[in-house]
Amino acid sequence: MFKNFKHEKIETNAGLLLVLTMLAVSIGGLVEIAPLFFLKSTMEDVEGVRPYTPLESRGRDIYIREGCYTCHSQMIRPFRDEQLRYGHYSLAAESKYDHPFQWGSKRTGPDLARVGGKYSNEWHVQHLIKPKSMVPESVMPNYQWLQENKLDVSDIEGRLRALRMTGVPYSANDEEYQRNVKQFGEAVAKTLHIPDALKNLVAQAQSGNFDGDRSSVSEMDAVVAYLQVLGTMVDFSKIKPEDLVKFR
Amino acid sequence: MDWFADPANTKPLGLLIFFVTFCAIVLWVYGSKKRGKKLEEHKNIPFLDDEDEVKDKSNG
Amino acid sequence: MSATSVAAVEQYDYEIIKKFSIMAIVWGVVGMSAGVFIASQLAWPWLNFDSPFLSFGRFRPVHTGAVIFGFGGSALFATSYYVVQRTCQTRLFAPGLATFTFWGWQAVIVLAALSYVSGFSQGREYAEMEWPIDLLVLFVWVAYGAVFIGTLMQRKQPHIYVANWFYLSFILVTALLHTFNNLAVPVDLFSMKSYSLFSGAQDAMTQWWYGHNAVGFFLTSAFLGMMYYFVPKHAGRPVYSYRLSIVHFWALSFMYMWVGTHHLHWTALPDWASTLGATFSIMLLLPSWGGMINGIMTLSGAWDKLRTDPIMRFMIVALSFYGMSTFEGPLMSLKDVNALSHYTDWTVGHVHSGALGWVAMIAFGSLYHMIPKLWNTQIFSVKLINAHFWLATIGTLLYITAMWISGISQGLMWRAFDDFGNLQYSFVESVAAMHPFYAMRAIGGMFFLTGMVLMAINIYMTVRRGMREADSAQARAAVAAV
Repeated sequence: MFKNFKHEKIETNAGLLLVLTMLAVSIGGLVEIAPLFFLKSTMEDVEGVRPYTPLESRGRDIYIREGCYTCHSQMIRPFRDEQLRYGHYSLAAESKYDHPFQWGSKRTGPDLARVGGKYSNEWHVQHLIKPKSMVPESVMPNYQWLQENKLDVSDIEGRLRALRMTGVPYSANDEEYQRNVKQFGEAVAKTLHIPDALKNLVAQAQSGNFDGDRSSVSEMDAVVAYLQVLGTMVDFSKIKPEDLVKFR
Repeated sequence: MDWFADPANTKPLGLLIFFVTFCAIVLWVYGSKKRGKKLEEHKNIPFLDDEDEVKDKSNG
Repeated sequence: MSATSVAAVEQYDYEIIKKFSIMAIVWGVVGMSAGVFIASQLAWPWLNFDSPFLSFGRFRPVHTGAVIFGFGGSALFATSYYVVQRTCQTRLFAPGLATFTFWGWQAVIVLAALSYVSGFSQGREYAEMEWPIDLLVLFVWVAYGAVFIGTLMQRKQPHIYVANWFYLSFILVTALLHTFNNLAVPVDLFSMKSYSLFSGAQDAMTQWWYGHNAVGFFLTSAFLGMMYYFVPKHAGRPVYSYRLSIVHFWALSFMYMWVGTHHLHWTALPDWASTLGATFSIMLLLPSWGGMINGIMTLSGAWDKLRTDPIMRFMIVALSFYGMSTFEGPLMSLKDVNALSHYTDWTVGHVHSGALGWVAMIAFGSLYHMIPKLWNTQIFSVKLINAHFWLATIGTLLYITAMWISGISQGLMWRAFDDFGNLQYSFVESVAAMHPFYAMRAIGGMFFLTGMVLMAINIYMTVRRGMREADSAQARAAVAAV
């Protein structure tokens, strides 16, 4: 069969060259990516992981807008030094609601996967306005406009609806709300209810008082709320070490 | 589908497909002297492109 | 005499190629300036000017977009249209569509840059363009594919020359990568904002499947296509082994697609996927070096050209850097090396040894060869090319040396323990220690940029001369006709 094969067939037929090239390049992608979508072990359910509240979600939008991922990773590797510096290594489940993922590829600044709760709100606000005032050697730009800009909340429901379409369990109706109550508990489920998104956003900004100014909701409120929740959802004291193997 | 979901299956399968095809291509390219000669002739194509250029075939 | 030169111009469709070549040079200057700017910001942060529009995070995709898609993309459009016509000995299929690819592509680059500085980003590296721009890219790309494949179909030469195989695989794969990596749900039809369809580990996998194959097919395969035409053509000698080029092509197409996961070693991605990625990365060394050897050996017996011809020197140094970075890449994909190198400047240095050393230099060589032919004239100054060559080489070496030192010291400082088992350095100590190398990198970039500016001047003068000669030839013809 081999001997009868005429090489002219490939080289003189643009269509065939096209199909064969396509075939060659597809195999690698298929074998590697496709299984991830069927594999249960890619994303184990870990207790505590929940979608972001409306305010945190808006903070995440700003994190992406400013390109924070170009200098900060959100993926702690299972090494002793990273454990000491950043905390427990990241689990796949911890970014299961991250559309898009923000694992990053470069640490010009430190990893942020577990930055939540490490510093006070006041520290973050000062640091974002003028990083050198808190860390003199820092090369991070000043982000004073986050404090000056009021947070745009006009399309908050639309944003959550779009996220819901990608599979994040925000609830659009009562049935979905009840499902969330069962899965996340009532307190969390309330924050995921799209019709109440604006109310919840303002309430969280008011009670959290992230930027130290209760009179209005600034972009700073949203970003700090997001930073403060990073890596705090999973309570590692409740997880047995032997279970961790299957979460990776 | 479940069979394909298991990397223990798809890894060797992918490798096998890749390896067999690659060997086939190498055999096909280098297997026959006659075919080889014909293939090598194609390398002069870049020198056939100018109507008004003196064709340089000294290396062909 | 004028009759034959007019015939030569009319034999192929050059208008579109001229436009793309000029824009390649314009975007080269713009994109590399942006690169020098953000590199300087890391060394001297006051350069962020407290402005949201100029801050590093927003400006970095302006740099990557302008150099990869603006400079690299335009150079590829130009050379692919040139090579496909000449090796098929036919004119372009659907020249109107080709013109659309030009204006469409330039619009993409401009819109993308404007959208980044004003804060619209998908947050995916090298694919930051939001969905409306992604759609425009898709339209342009389909048109590009149609023009290229259409031209192949109407060829007068029975065999499809190997350079076109590489260009074809680049067009196909880029379409595939772009489409799947940018699947997203927009907030609404009048909003620029969208959310990626995938999340977490799957999204990471998709993004790096895109990211690495963009390097593999956009920045490697396509530029190998360029190499397989321009190196033999400029040397005046056919490629060393045509059979090797066939094996090279298929092996590369097969293997590149497997290696993306080496960007995700030690992350929350399943182990088997990244191990597979590493295995293929090592194997990829073989076809890569096959290609390099094929290119360099094309020159065997004509080494003296290297002494006199700076264009040839660009091409050979490009191939050498290609060989070096395709050796460094598999090395960095080893999990133990990656544990040190990942997240550090070493990665940045590796990318630039490929991007500056290989991609940009082979493009410079090809453009210097092609542009005088497009305008039917001689290059304005060979001395300027020579100066450009040395600036580019020194700049690249400064850049990657700085990044090697800073990358490896970062990696070592992060994992250093003192005698009591505590971390020896705080993170910010590593930041402070990088300052001299960030400055050195910025200076390397300035060298490279200066070379690029010399090229722009040289090409400007060449084109002006070409147009004057064409004018006077026309005038003489008109006089003769009277």
